[in-house]
Amino acid sequence: MRTVKEKIRALLSGREHRMVLALFAVVLMTVPLVAGPYGVIVMVDVGLYSIVTMGLILLMGFAGQISLGQGVFFGLGAYMSGIITTRCGLSPWLVLLVAAVAAGAVAIVVGRALVRLRGLIVAGVTLALNLVFCSLVVSLRDLTGGATGLPLIPRLPLGGFAPSNTLFSYYVVWIVAILLLVFSLNLVNSRTGRALKSVNLLAGGSEDTAQVLGVDIIRYKVQVFAVGAIYASIAGSLYAHYTGCIEPGAFGVHFSVLVAIMAIIGGMTSPWGAFLGAGLIVSVNEALREVMPAVVGGSTGAYELIAYGSILVATLLFLPQGLMSIWRRLQPQERFR
Amino acid sequence: MSEKGKQRDTEEQAILEIRDVSVAYDGLVAVNGVSFCVRRGDIIAIIGPNGAGKTTLLKLITGLLRPSGGEIWLKQQRVDRVAPHRIASLGVTQVFQDIQLFSNMSVVENVMAGCHVWTGASFLSTGLRLPHSRAEERNISDTALRKLSLVGLGQKAFYSPSSLSWGEQKRVGLARALAAGADLLLLDEPYGGLIAEEIGKLSQLLLELQHRGITILMVEQLTDVVLDIANQVVVLRYGEKIADGTAAEIQGNEQVIATYLGNGPLEGDER
Ligand SMILES: Nc1ncnc2c1ncn2[C@@H]1O[C@H](COP(=O)(O)OP(=O)(O)OP(=O)(O)O)[C@@H](O)[C@H]1O
Ligand SMILES: [Mg+2]
Repeated sequence: MRTVKEKIRALLSGREHRMVLALFAVVLMTVPLVAGPYGVIVMVDVGLYSIVTMGLILLMGFAGQISLGQGVFFGLGAYMSGIITTRCGLSPWLVLLVAAVAAGAVAIVVGRALVRLRGLIVAGVTLALNLVFCSLVVSLRDLTGGATGLPLIPRLPLGGFAPSNTLFSYYVVWIVAILLLVFSLNLVNSRTGRALKSVNLLAGGSEDTAQVLGVDIIRYKVQVFAVGAIYASIAGSLYAHYTGCIEPGAFGVHFSVLVAIMAIIGGMTSPWGAFLGAGLIVSVNEALREVMPAVVGGSTGAYELIAYGSILVATLLFLPQGLMSIWRRLQPQERFR
Repeated sequence: MSEKGKQRDTEEQAILEIRDVSVAYDGLVAVNGVSFCVRRGDIIAIIGPNGAGKTTLLKLITGLLRPSGGEIWLKQQRVDRVAPHRIASLGVTQVFQDIQLFSNMSVVENVMAGCHVWTGASFLSTGLRLPHSRAEERNISDTALRKLSLVGLGQKAFYSPSSLSWGEQKRVGLARALAAGADLLLLDEPYGGLIAEEIGKLSQLLLELQHRGITILMVEQLTDVVLDIANQVVVLRYGEKIADGTAAEIQGNEQVIATYLGNGPLEGDER
């Protein structure tokens, strides 16, 4: 039997996650060998959504701040990467980093304004910001290409040679996703993670207690908002280079709401939930796109909405802690929750 | 010693000084012109019936409420306009009447959260697990376990707070506050809801903490237990201080007797 002390050490050192992480990484790296081109394309989507969702899980699941505006930062990353690389010919890798920092800075400004507002109001304001962002993109046509989109964005280069785009994007997206997963897991099992959980009014935190224990609640809320924005921006940059052409529709409220649904369905008490939520929703989406036209014909948009809605309701009813809680229940006894 | 010299002496020993402090909630005056001094190393009890303003007074000290008048001095610093987390960093913390354990964390994580104030690893440093952050985390978990053992809950480290009894939850709350390393501990009704044997143990623990140099300011309904261990007792009624002295002194105070025994309003009496 392990002593309590050893258990805590294992938890803090991340040893607990190490095996699962290694397995996860190995499986992901071998997926392209067995999945075929279509599977790889779907998995790139899952990876991109997972990155954004992971950021939102930190923000919403850990700190209890609802955001329905992650599309803004996904879009900021994509447009900054798209515009700067097409116009200035700077290295896409460098621009990706610069864009992420810039998105973080924007988030700090926005976050400072939002931080004094409560739950649902924050959700509403972030949603409104997303609408504003999209109309800005449309109206700044000279810069962004407007509603028709910004084409000819260069691929991500790998030294001198240009690998197959989809496969290369797959590996880049998933390596970034795994690195961000490691970062997130470290974060949540640390002083920072506990401070975030302590201010979480949606799930058992208490601002008064957090403050008398020395937590600067405003600072933590603003910082985690910036972290969520940085994750979204990185995904946005990767997306822009992957598709080569971006248009405002991809960064709308639809995207933001979808990411929020992924977070809730996957489970907001662990960064791992992002992969479950994104995996499930993207799969359902693909399945509908295959099956529905054969059954009823016509556009599938409405069915997607019904499917997401049903999954969301079922999750809230039967697995309020999301898909991650299934994993937790399989863990041996006395583990917390 | 001259009168003045004596006064300066007590001022130097005072870890906390409340000067003519008042606050109101939407017109209802909850604390009205209260003044008192807390000497370093003492156990001081604030007693008074329900609604007397005891909880409000603690919130004023930790900065969760701002007084509308008066001054609060903590370790020679004026703190009545200082943000709560900064006051915490001066070595004060509070255990609330309803404890408010974080239900999204295990018991040991709750206590580890108490270590926030004396640690400093940043977002980036914890996310990257830099050596500084790793060393700090080890230090935090050791401290948390020590404090949990001190309150006799070392074996329940990985429990969910909601699975504990009320008495155990109160002990976790205390361990969390102790993990903050504060030398002034504010306890809101620490004896409330405890069973007989827990009461004795708590008194022992509080005396031991006092022995270790921690100043304790606790709020209680009038109980014999508190009068037994307190060096100083302040009695509040309707937001006003009606007595201040040793247990023996206030037990002989006429106003106190009237409040609790005589014609005055009894406990549970709300305005
Ligand atoms: N948030 C609030 N808003 C309005 N009035 C409040 C609030 N908190 C307390 N009060 C009122 O202020 C007065 C003092 O309350 P306080 O909680 O400080 O009393 P207390 O001495 O701690 O009482 P108890 O023994 O019941 O804990 C009471 O009349 C109470 O109803
Ligand atoms: Mg009270």
